[in-house]
Amino acid sequence: MKRALTGVTGPLLAAILVAAPAAAQQVEPRLERLDAAARPVVAALIDSARTASIPTEPLVQRALEGATKGAPEGVIVAAVRRLAVDLGRARDALGSTASPAELSAGAAALRAGASQTTLAMLRHARRESLIVPLAVLADLVSSGVPVDSAAAAVLSLARRARDADLVEFRRAVERDIALGAPPAAATAAAATASAQSVDVNAGARPQRPGRP
Amino acid sequence: MFEPMDDVIERIARHLRRPVRVDPALDGRVMREISALPAPGGATMVGKAWRWLRRPRQFTLTPLGGLAAVAALAVALLLFRRDSTSPAPPQVASRAFQFVLVAPRAARVSLVGDFNDWDATRTPMQRTGSDALWTVVVPLEPGRYHYAFFVDGSRWLADPSAPVARDDDYGAPSSVLTVGGGGDS
Repeated sequence: MKRALTGVTGPLLAAILVAAPAAAQQVEPRLERLDAAARPVVAALIDSARTASIPTEPLVQRALEGATKGAPEGVIVAAVRRLAVDLGRARDALGSTASPAELSAGAAALRAGASQTTLAMLRHARRESLIVPLAVLADLVSSGVPVDSAAAAVLSLARRARDADLVEFRRAVERDIALGAPPAAATAAAATASAQSVDVNAGARPQRPGRP
Repeated sequence: MFEPMDDVIERIARHLRRPVRVDPALDGRVMREISALPAPGGATMVGKAWRWLRRPRQFTLTPLGGLAAVAALAVALLLFRRDSTSPAPPQVASRAFQFVLVAPRAARVSLVGDFNDWDATRTPMQRTGSDALWTVVVPLEPGRYHYAFFVDGSRWLADPSAPVARDDDYGAPSSVLTVGGGGDS
């Protein structure tokens, strides 16, 4: 016996159309480690990020870090929300072609105090990956280097320097700061030395491959 | 018995000469019908397709056939959703990194970070050489990672040989490792 399509399957079809997208957005199983209050809020933030084409893995990791460290629900939610905003701002500055790792590094730089303009200038200055330049920028600002000095130094080096050169530059700055040099002066000196292809890390320990 | 032919003709002529009352809206209806007709020789594929699409139809299905159609549609939606939201990540080379901590009094040490879901059970560190030295090697792809050492299940330690993560949100000390395309930090 045949029945009209609308008679039987119409309502079912409508239900499937509504339910299918929800089923596709399965809750990230790793979020089970969050407490019951934080889990749905963090899951909603992650879904929103996914919809906005923002990488979600950094958000998951930030939430899991909070869970492992025993942070309160409100602190975890605030941290994830803040990171999502920073990732979105980084994507706006770096463009939609930026990799998730670049966006994470860009979010860290923005969080440290760098501007979106600086990120955009870095994007135009360097064809290679921006992970290390952005991370060095974030680390320098976090070390107390004024953001303008750090941005100018990284921008001046980013066009030609290799990732390893930028890392050595950062180490030199941090070493000089630890020895008592003013952060801005240490940055300017290291940038000048690096630009002149001087070994800026002559006093440092030999680099052991793979050591952080 | 029969009317004369002339009379018949005259009667028919009179009948035909009578004025005919025509509906005033007739002209409009006729013109609408004419404009709806396809142009002579203009029955294009697009026109045929458009008429086919506009023609009402009634489909009948068995309940089983209807369920199968709905199930197929649901599977297609799920697959589309998965493809559109989770593009395959590009293949990037990972490099092995050695993490070292000097902790003479520790009974057990774990490495936790963005690379192992901050799971303290996943990457235990091993005592090597001297009793004070704890090490582990982890393959990492390019990126910026937060990490820390978790000592004796209760104490968090940052890596003294790496930059401190000052953008830490949770108060416990963390370090930062940046892995570039060709080097570490």
